[in-house]
Amino acid sequence: MFRQMYWTHSRTLLFILFAFFLVILTAPLLAPYDPLQINMNERLLKPSAEHFFGTDYLGRDLFSRILAGGQVTVGTSILVLGIVLLIGVPLGMFSGFVGGRFDRYLMRIIDAFLAFPDFIVAIVLSGILGPGMLNLIFAIVVAKWGSYVRLVRSTVLSEKEKDYILMAVVNGLSTFQIIRKHLLPHVVGNVFVLATLDLGKIILLIASLSYIGLGAQPPTPEWGAMLNESTPYFHTSPYLMFIPGIAIMFTVLVSNLAGDVLRDRFDVKG
Amino acid sequence: MSLLTIDQMQINFRNKPIVENVNITARKGEWFTLIGESGSGKSITASAIGGLLPKEMWIAAGHIQFDNKDMTHLSKKEFQNLRGKEISYVFQDYQSSFTPFIKIGKQMDEMIQAHSSLTKNERKEIAFQALEDVQLPAKRVYNSYPFQLSGGQLQRASIAMAIMLNPKLLIADEPTTALDSMTAAHVLEVIANIKEKINCAILFITHDLRLARKYSDTVAVMKKGEIVETGTKTNVIHHPRHPYTKQLLSAAPTLPNKMHEVIT
Repeated sequence: MFRQMYWTHSRTLLFILFAFFLVILTAPLLAPYDPLQINMNERLLKPSAEHFFGTDYLGRDLFSRILAGGQVTVGTSILVLGIVLLIGVPLGMFSGFVGGRFDRYLMRIIDAFLAFPDFIVAIVLSGILGPGMLNLIFAIVVAKWGSYVRLVRSTVLSEKEKDYILMAVVNGLSTFQIIRKHLLPHVVGNVFVLATLDLGKIILLIASLSYIGLGAQPPTPEWGAMLNESTPYFHTSPYLMFIPGIAIMFTVLVSNLAGDVLRDRFDVKG
Repeated sequence: MSLLTIDQMQINFRNKPIVENVNITARKGEWFTLIGESGSGKSITASAIGGLLPKEMWIAAGHIQFDNKDMTHLSKKEFQNLRGKEISYVFQDYQSSFTPFIKIGKQMDEMIQAHSSLTKNERKEIAFQALEDVQLPAKRVYNSYPFQLSGGQLQRASIAMAIMLNPKLLIADEPTTALDSMTAAHVLEVIANIKEKINCAILFITHDLRLARKYSDTVAVMKKGEIVETGTKTNVIHHPRHPYTKQLLSAAPTLPNKMHEVIT
């Protein structure tokens, strides 16, 4: 009975989580003001009925900026994940299935990438390439692709030894067909879980890099960048930092929860 | 006219021969039984025919001739076209003959598609016919997942898949070992019926003398990677010449004559 309760729960939870991301991505449509509209007459206003979260140092409506920032931060994270998956899944499947020299070289390269923490690689790369959203995306993709290739490869390695794959070979199916129809479904679940768990980390990475000025550039409303812009006003208007901070925290929490629920669902180990 | 000729074949594993001096000649429509204890090299020989040897093993000497093609010099692509269409396999482990998360019908369909350019309906017809040939309820099995069938049914379904495209040679590598004896008898009977119907040769691999007795035309006895005796069923089983064959035959538990007739 407990189990049943858990399952219905996890389904509701998943539904809520996905609804949350959907809302974040469409939220800018609900913004009451233009998030980029500067109004020097209304600088640093306290939260009120007109401005739910108050206004920032240039008089921009903070509520609208938080909503728009969600789209930038979460949207970019999802985009990064998409690119990483597009690189990681095919490469991992190929490497695992074909093996041989290609596999050995690729694995050593990935070992080198994984030897550094994601954050360091991303900082160094966006430091070299210069600030900007595109460079940030590139830097995070470079930092992240390796672990996906690894995951996919190891799944393929353990599955390809199974007899039904041999049977598919025996039946005269082509390598491509075997990979696509008989191996890919195994990989999807694992990758989906890792990706959701990673979403939170990537959101944090984007926010942190933007906070130190390497990511989104003003006037783009990005949560990390907003934190940065608001630092000088912390003593007089602390909510300018609290609100984007809470937004980041909450989003990361939600994506981690989503990852955990999915992990239990797909029963992925490790 | 021989369909399959294996001539002085030697298979090496890391430079060490593990199968040597294998000579097999099988005619079209012949039931050729390869018998021997575990580890005697029967399965390796069988996988060499379809180019399915594991990476560390290779054919070091000799030839395999199938349907006038030299199988030792085929490309990967040529093997791929041959497997499933002209040479097909049935293995011991029926549980893993099918990918667990794809319906049996879909997998059969996929295989026909890989070897022909038939329309969807024609493919379905072939699959249904094959399933009926192995005495399975075609429609139900076609729409089932592998785990929804029993062991015997699964093994028969994998036979259906193997014979679907009318192969010239069916290699059955201990197809009944994992089944109980009643089911095994049924599976054997199904194979025998199919052989009559599509007139394919059968390379039947087993360690069970009783199975060799019933349907074989020719029997070869394998021991430690070599074929020690080949001959017609009557010759090998009733007048064995090699000491190992004699040993094998005497090791088989026998029943008093009357009961023996009942069982076989």
